[in-house]
Amino acid sequence: MGISLHNITKRFGPDLVLDDVSDEVPSGTLTALLGPSGSGKSTLLRVVAGLEASDAGHVVLGGRDVTNVPARERRIGFCFQDYAPFFQMTVFDNVAYGLRVRKTPKAQIRREVDDLLSLVRLESFADRYPRQLSGGQRQRMALARALAIKPEVLLLDEPFAALDAQVSAELRTWVRSLQHELGVTTILVTHNQFEAMEIGDRLVILNQGRVEQTGAPSVVYDHPANDFVYAFLGPTTTWGRVPVRPHDLELCRVDKGTAVTVTEVVRLGFEVRVVVANALGVPTWVQLTHDEAQRLDPRVGDVVGVRVRVAEFAALSRHAQDRPVAGR
Amino acid sequence: MRRPSRLLRFVVLAYVTALVGLPLGFVFQRVLARGLGSLWAALGDPQMDAAILLTVKVALIAVPLNVVFGVGASLWIARHPSRATRALDAVIDVPLAVSPIIIGLILELAYAQGGWFGSTIARLGWRVMFSLPGIVLASVFVSLPLVSRQVIPLLREIGDHQEQTAATLGAGPVRIFFTITLRAITWALAYGVSLTMARVIGEYGAVLIVSGNIALVTQTLTLNIGGNFENFNAYQGFVGASLLASASIAVLVVLSVARHRERRRHGHLTA
Repeated sequence: MGISLHNITKRFGPDLVLDDVSDEVPSGTLTALLGPSGSGKSTLLRVVAGLEASDAGHVVLGGRDVTNVPARERRIGFCFQDYAPFFQMTVFDNVAYGLRVRKTPKAQIRREVDDLLSLVRLESFADRYPRQLSGGQRQRMALARALAIKPEVLLLDEPFAALDAQVSAELRTWVRSLQHELGVTTILVTHNQFEAMEIGDRLVILNQGRVEQTGAPSVVYDHPANDFVYAFLGPTTTWGRVPVRPHDLELCRVDKGTAVTVTEVVRLGFEVRVVVANALGVPTWVQLTHDEAQRLDPRVGDVVGVRVRVAEFAALSRHAQDRPVAGR
Repeated sequence: MRRPSRLLRFVVLAYVTALVGLPLGFVFQRVLARGLGSLWAALGDPQMDAAILLTVKVALIAVPLNVVFGVGASLWIARHPSRATRALDAVIDVPLAVSPIIIGLILELAYAQGGWFGSTIARLGWRVMFSLPGIVLASVFVSLPLVSRQVIPLLREIGDHQEQTAATLGAGPVRIFFTITLRAITWALAYGVSLTMARVIGEYGAVLIVSGNIALVTQTLTLNIGGNFENFNAYQGFVGASLLASASIAVLVVLSVARHRERRRHGHLTA
């Protein structure tokens, strides 16, 4: 079920939280709503769910205008950042909640909840209480609870923010494949650009209540609409007073680029950051792969050259293969 | 946690014993000193029995009223904050800050003949002062914040995400209240109820003024105890006092046992 947002505007007192937001979320896709804190992304998610009323604009779900439909009649699966477990109920009763509201027969509830618990790998936790679960388990319980009502739209508010890095990475992969399997239209709110690019079919980048850009992660990354998107999506440094991605710079022989002195080398596994300063002491940094760093072996105090990588290089070499003309 | 030192434990126990244990023990000792025959006779005192019945009646009306008001006010204050709820939040504590005798006088000013609403009430053929409604009113007034002061902080702490999740799952407001909110605040509410109960059955000052203290008619148990002491009928007074104390202690014991069970069942602290 596709989601259409038409000119959504929301104020909290004097603050304009959402400023004329429009978007089309295609059915079955996973859209990552990305923005810094205070950009209005959680408020937008709450407006879609019906938990917050917008001051103006329309929310259309699968062709039906639900702007004035209360949350409980929208049949939208919603997961809060804190997972909002029902602490007084067992895991089973948590997941069964939506089915009981719908007066589902008992045997059917048992069957469906058991299926959902095995889907989220919590079969053996049915009789536990939420306080006896880890953060990752609580999150999976909250997902099962939201999926129980067979929603055609799933909304996840910062689903991985409260988890430690490893659990977060595992769950991202798992949620991604689950979403593919179920084909449920999903909007996921995050402030983490890597998470958004990893998990999203498309990105919606929000800043100060306005949509800055939408599109596939690679398109948005390679063709940012403005400076904000450019700076927000990845690391930036400056080169000749111009903002540039540190992976678009490279080290070379002194006579092939601008001469700089290496001031720091930070090895982060695959990524190696080489901080350099020019003759005036202006710093910048260059992002190398582990392999490049092994080959070039930059050390603090080395005087080396820095230049902008030839961006067209990859494209050129591909063309070179197509054409019988010798490249380079 | 480090064990408290032996001296600290001794001081705390001695303090509590001297302040609460000994006097309470004396009451029961005085009651039993004359033997079971006298106790039986004292328990049959018609004035005291009428007073007990009235106190039970007042508690049965005032406590539910306070629960409904307390929970309603708590939900409003914690879930829909506005200028009005901030004002209510401040005003709700007045009965705790003001002496009960003043509350009694305020009620008298308002409801007695010649009072603000006195003539209106008389025209409707109702009676508030010197009757059950007045005593209930005074009891509700003095215990006004006891439920909401327990419930509001808990409502704020648990937040509204559980309630909103239940709404997205299709539940309506009534269902959400009974399956989510009420279950989350059960123990805070139970604590507030027991405080209210203790306050209602133990109230003296405000009730003294509004009830008129008419034996067999508007005399509550506390007024009956006070009357017996004033009339040099100390033994009867001690019997009444021991009953009142037993009722309060029973409320506390039931509450702490129930709390302990709940804690064990969920493996965590509630309320």
